[in-house]
Amino acid sequence: MDRILELKDVCVTYSNKEKRVYAVKNVTLSLDMGDSLGIVGESGSGKSTLAMALLRLHDESSTILSGNADFMGRDLISIPQEEMNELRWKEISVVFQKAMNSLSPVHRIGAQVEDIYHVHEPKATSDQIKERMVELLKLVNLPERVYRLYPHELSGGMMQRVAIAISLLHSPKLIIFDEATTALDVVTQGQILNEVVQMEKTMNMTRIMITHDMSVVAASCNKVAVMYAGEILEMGMVTDVFKNPLHPYTKGLISSLPSLFGTNDSLHAIAGNLPDLSQEIIGCPYAPRCGNASEKCFSAKPKHVSFDNGRFVACWLYEGGGRDE
Amino acid sequence: MGKYIIKRTISGFITVILVFAMNFFLFKMAPGDPITTLMGTKATSKAMRHALEVKYGLDKPLIVQFISYLRTAAHGDLGISIIYNRPVADMIGEKVGATLLLCLTAAIIALVIGTAMGIHAARKEGGVYDVIASGTTYAFNSVPSFWLGLMLIIIFSSGLKWLPSYGMVDNRADYTGMAYVMDIIMHMILPTLTLTLILIPQYFRIAKSSVLQVTNEDFIMTFKAVGMNNKTIFNRYIFRNAILPTVTIFGISVAYLITGVTLIEIVFAWPGMGRLMMTAITQRDYPTLMGSYLIMAISVAVAMLLVDIVYALLDPRIRYE
Amino acid sequence: MKELKKKIISVCKVIASDHQLLAGVIGLLFIFFIIIFAPLLVTDNPYHYGDDILFRVGQGGHILGTNHMGQDIYSMLIYGMRTSFKVAVISALISGILGVVIGGIAGFFGGKVDIIVSEIINVFMMLPTFFLILLIVALFGNSIYNVMVVIGITTWPSNAKLMRAEALTLKQRTFVKSAEAMGESKSQRLNKYIIPNGIFPVVSNTTMGMSNAILTEAGLSFLGLGDATIISWGQMIYTGKQYITTAWWISTYAGFAIIITVIIFYLLGDGLNHVLDPKYSKQGR
Repeated sequence: MDRILELKDVCVTYSNKEKRVYAVKNVTLSLDMGDSLGIVGESGSGKSTLAMALLRLHDESSTILSGNADFMGRDLISIPQEEMNELRWKEISVVFQKAMNSLSPVHRIGAQVEDIYHVHEPKATSDQIKERMVELLKLVNLPERVYRLYPHELSGGMMQRVAIAISLLHSPKLIIFDEATTALDVVTQGQILNEVVQMEKTMNMTRIMITHDMSVVAASCNKVAVMYAGEILEMGMVTDVFKNPLHPYTKGLISSLPSLFGTNDSLHAIAGNLPDLSQEIIGCPYAPRCGNASEKCFSAKPKHVSFDNGRFVACWLYEGGGRDE
Repeated sequence: MGKYIIKRTISGFITVILVFAMNFFLFKMAPGDPITTLMGTKATSKAMRHALEVKYGLDKPLIVQFISYLRTAAHGDLGISIIYNRPVADMIGEKVGATLLLCLTAAIIALVIGTAMGIHAARKEGGVYDVIASGTTYAFNSVPSFWLGLMLIIIFSSGLKWLPSYGMVDNRADYTGMAYVMDIIMHMILPTLTLTLILIPQYFRIAKSSVLQVTNEDFIMTFKAVGMNNKTIFNRYIFRNAILPTVTIFGISVAYLITGVTLIEIVFAWPGMGRLMMTAITQRDYPTLMGSYLIMAISVAVAMLLVDIVYALLDPRIRYE
Repeated sequence: MKELKKKIISVCKVIASDHQLLAGVIGLLFIFFIIIFAPLLVTDNPYHYGDDILFRVGQGGHILGTNHMGQDIYSMLIYGMRTSFKVAVISALISGILGVVIGGIAGFFGGKVDIIVSEIINVFMMLPTFFLILLIVALFGNSIYNVMVVIGITTWPSNAKLMRAEALTLKQRTFVKSAEAMGESKSQRLNKYIIPNGIFPVVSNTTMGMSNAILTEAGLSFLGLGDATIISWGQMIYTGKQYITTAWWISTYAGFAIIITVIIFYLLGDGLNHVLDPKYSKQGR
C-alpha cells in the first residue's frame, strides 16, 4: 500500500495581539492510498482546523503552522501558496459543510464549474467541461439539467451532491469531506454516504471524512482517528476501534450512541466540557473528564503506544504497551 | 421574470396614485383657496363665489375633482398656471430637461466614483486609504448641499473666477453648436460637483460594507480551495455579488436626489423643475404645483421600477419569487 | 447606591468600547455645554441689531464678524445650537414615538392592520419627503414648531419599518408566547415585551434622524420657509446668501456649525448601532 499522506507533529496555533489559541497539537498520523479515514471529535476539537490548515486555507497572518505534512513527496505546510494552488483541486479537493452557500448565488452552476475547471485546464472547451460534469452528476444521481440551474433552485441534498461532483472534476487523489453531511437529514445523509462508498469502488480515491457523528464513520470509513482538544487520542482500523475501544474517551463516545437493541432507559453522556485551548495543556487533555485519570495523567502527556494494524493510543493506561486484542 | 415586472408596475402605479391623492387632498386642506385669490379680498358676493366654483368645478365633491384631474392628466393636460397663464405641461416640459441633465450626470458620476472608492477601501481595509476615505466621506455626508454649493461659488467663482456661478447658459452671449455645448458644460461643473460630492458618501459606504461582507461568504472559500487566483475571484464573483446592494441604494436615493437637486438649483439659479416648484409654492400656483408633484412622483416610481428590474436581472433569486 | 455606581461604571465601559460612540458622547457633552452656558459664552446679544454692520472677521471685537443687521455671527452660532438641538430632539421624538407605536402594532397584531400600515410605509419611503415637508410648511405656516412637528410626522415610516420587523420576530419568541399562555392580554404583551425589546434599532435610527432633521430645517430655512423670528443656522446661511461675494462669513461659519453638529449625531447613531446590535458588537451580548 502506498503512503499518500503522512502527518508528523502538525500544530496549528491562532495568534492575535490578545492571546494564542492552540487549536491543533502534535498531530501524527498516516494515510495509505485507497483509505477512508474518519476524523471524529466534538465541536471545537480541532478537526476542521486541521483540514483547513492542510489545504492552507486559513488566514496566514494570524495562524502559525508547524510540523510536517508530506503529501506524495511535498510538504503541504511549507510549500509556497503558488505551489499549493497547483495541488488544489487537482490532487486534493474539499467538500464543505454548507453546500447551499458553497457556490455563488448569482451565477449558474455550469458557469461556475467552467471557471473552476479553467483554473487548472485553461484550454478546455465548454463542451468538454459540460461532458465531464454530466458524467460526474450521473455518479451522484443527479439529472443533467442541474448544470444550467442556479444554486438556490436545488435542495440542500442536491447541492451537497453537486459539491461532491465538483470535487471530483480533476479526479484528485485525496478528497476531504468536512462535515459534508452534517447539515442534511438522516435519510439523505445515508443515501449520499452509500453513493460515495459505491463511487470509491470504481475510482482510486482516498478520503478523509471529518465528522462528529460516529455512525457516519462506522458506515463509510475503514480507519478512524479520535480527536480531542486538538490532539489525536486514538487511531486504528474502524473494526478494531469500534469493537474494542481503548481510550476512555473513545469508549465514552461509542457508548453514547443509543443502541438499536433492547430498551434505552437513559442516554449516556460524557460529563464536562472542552478545556480552554488558549492555555497550554500539560498532561492529557481529557484528564479532567476521565473516570480513569490518575495523577500522572495531569502532569505528563501520554506517549503514543502502538499496536498492530496501524493502531495507536495516547493514554497512560496502556503504558505497558504492545497489548494484543 | 415577466410576471415580476407586471407585478412591480402595478404596484408602482398604485403608489403613484396614492402619493398624488395625498397631495391633492393636502392642497384642498390648506388655508387660502384660488377662488378667494381670483375674487380679491374686497368681493364678498356669495353668488359670484358660487358661480366661480361651478365654473372651475370646485363645487363637486373632492373625489370627483380628484378623478377628473387624473383623467385630464392622463391626456397630457395638467391645467393652466394661475400665475403665468400657460399650460402647466409646457412649463414643466421646458424645465425637466435641465433637471434631468444635472440629476443623472451627478448620480452616475457619484455612483461610479463612490463605488470604486468603497471597493478599494474594502480591499485594503484599515489601511491609510481606508481611514482617509472613510473619514472624508463621513464628513461630506454631514454637509448641507446648498452650503457646499455656496462655498464652491465663493472659491471658484468669486475667488478664482474660473467658473460661472449661476444659470445654465450665458444669456448675453449667443453661442451655437459646440460653443453652446461648452457653455452649458462650464455652467454645469459647479452644481454637478456639489451634488456629486454630497452623493458619493452613501455609495462609498454601501460598496465598502458589501465587498467586506461578500468576501467572508462561504462560496469565496470554495474558490480559494479550488486554487483560483484572487484577481479572478474578485472580478467575477466578489464584484458581481457585492454590486447588488449598490443597485438597491441607487433606487432608494432617487427620491433623495430630487430634493438635493432642488436646493442646488436654487443656489445656482439653474433653470430646472426644482426652481419651478419653489416659485409655485411661494406664489400658491396650485395647478403648477400639482402638475410638478405628479410628474415628480411618476419619475420616482418609474426610476424605482427600472432599478428593480435591473436588480432582478442581476440577482436570479428575486426572479423566481 | 452601590448598584447605581456599578451601573454607571458599566455604561461608561460600554461607551468607551466603541470609538464612534465615544466620540459621539464627547460631542454630545460639548453640545450640552454650549446649550447650557450659552449666555455666558456669547460676546454680544445675538438678537441685538447693532450698529456694526457687515463687519469683517475680527473687526470691532466681533470674533466672526457681523451680518447686515449688525448681529454678531459668533453669538448667533452659539444660540443657534439651542435651536438645532430643539429641532433635532423634538422631531426625532415625534418620529420615534409614532414609529414605535405604529410599527409595533402593525407587526404584533398583523392581519389587515399590518397590510395597510405596510403600504403606507412603502408609499412614504418612495416619496420625496422633503417636498412634502416643503408643501406643508408653505401651506400651513412656517413657525419653528410647525417645522418640528412636520419633520416628525413625515419621518416616522423608517422607524415603523424597523419596529415592525422587530415585532414580527419577537412575537415568535418563546417568552412572548409563554406570556400569552399565562393569559396576558395583547396590549400587555405589546407594552411589556415587544416594545422594550424591539426598540433598539429604532433608537439608533432616531439618532441618525436627528442629523437629518437638522439638515432638513436648514434646507427649509435656506428656501425662505424657515422661521425668521428665531436664530437658526439655516436662517443664517439664507440671509448670508445675498452677501456671498462680499460678506462670505455670514453663511460660511453657520455651515461649519451644522457639519460639526450633524457629525456628532451621526457618530452617536453609528456607535449606538454597534453597541446595541449584537451582530456588530465585538464582545457579543
